[in-house]
Amino acid sequence: MRWLLVLAGLAIAAAGAYVSLAQAGSGTQPWDPELSDNFVFMRVLPFALGLGLVVGLFRAGGWKPAVRRGDQVRRFSPGTVIGHWIATIGFVLALPTGVWQYLGGILDVHLEFPLYLIYRIHYIGAALILFSVANFVAYWWVNGDRSLWVPRGQWRRHLAGFALELPRSLGTRLAARLGLDLTQRPRPGQFTFYETAFSFPTWTFALALITITGILKAMRYIYPIPGPVLYWASTLHVAAMVLLVLKVLDHLRYTLGRWPLMVAMARGWVSEGALRGVLEPRVPSGTPHGEPAVAPRAPAGAASGSDR
Amino acid sequence: MKRLVAILELLWAALNLVIAYLFVTNAFVAKTAIKEGLPAQAALLLGGALIAVFAVTLARQSLQVLRGLRPTES
Repeated sequence: MRWLLVLAGLAIAAAGAYVSLAQAGSGTQPWDPELSDNFVFMRVLPFALGLGLVVGLFRAGGWKPAVRRGDQVRRFSPGTVIGHWIATIGFVLALPTGVWQYLGGILDVHLEFPLYLIYRIHYIGAALILFSVANFVAYWWVNGDRSLWVPRGQWRRHLAGFALELPRSLGTRLAARLGLDLTQRPRPGQFTFYETAFSFPTWTFALALITITGILKAMRYIYPIPGPVLYWASTLHVAAMVLLVLKVLDHLRYTLGRWPLMVAMARGWVSEGALRGVLEPRVPSGTPHGEPAVAPRAPAGAASGSDR
Repeated sequence: MKRLVAILELLWAALNLVIAYLFVTNAFVAKTAIKEGLPAQAALLLGGALIAVFAVTLARQSLQVLRGLRPTES
């Protein structure tokens, strides 16, 4: 039944893409390539979102608890790994082209090849990101996994854990500003406090902002968007772009310094000992101590995440 | 593999440093002031400075890995 859902989603998406591209390539449309691409993107967009939704629902239906193979634990499901890399390709395509569009306008510089090609690559990257957003939202919504979310009433605890994971001068300053108690080191769950209290919320905010403003911008040729709304959508789209440039840099820095996280996202599997080292880093002397991140005899999955 | 990833991330950091440079320098160009106004200039300056800081941090991390200063955990 789940396969039927995906096949139907794929068929509808393929038919939608075919009709949109065939219409644009018929040679009877009066628009220039840039405007034509914009129309193709707008027409394909609901299908990209729909396909992402269907794939997310399919994956959620096959969700299984975490498994172990010797010392190796499965941190991410194959669907999550593939979904993450699809989003990565989307970012690699959409971010540099988006920056170029913005800087090209500011600098008044033009490349040797036509601008519509930059837009085309940007739209392809954006479609992949939108697919990924729909995929992960549907997946998490249905399977009920909230391990990256800070539970209600737990924000201070997660922020305190985050402050303790930061370099001491920065963490102390943050704690003083927010009135956090750093005398006890809280236990992390399946993710570090940096991931739950800082990284995931900022990813969510930046992706939501770029998605909403991007859709508004792309809609302007098929639906009359009021001038001020379009102005703010464009401004906030650029702001979200800069935020995402920063997020990508920070994400790369964080995961390169914690290599098991990179291994987990490439293979799905990771050594439990190495992962424990990330979740429960060695505490420098003079810093507060708390309970260990993972109990010594914790079952498989306690340090592995929930097989997201 | 870790070294290859570090090299790719170093290249990404270098690309971002170029972007940061373009952001910051164009915040002070008269054309930007006339065309975009003061808020856009401030945004370019702030955005460029932040990108530069994050890119330098990533570059440092990548160089540490390449020099073998970071323990290989896997």
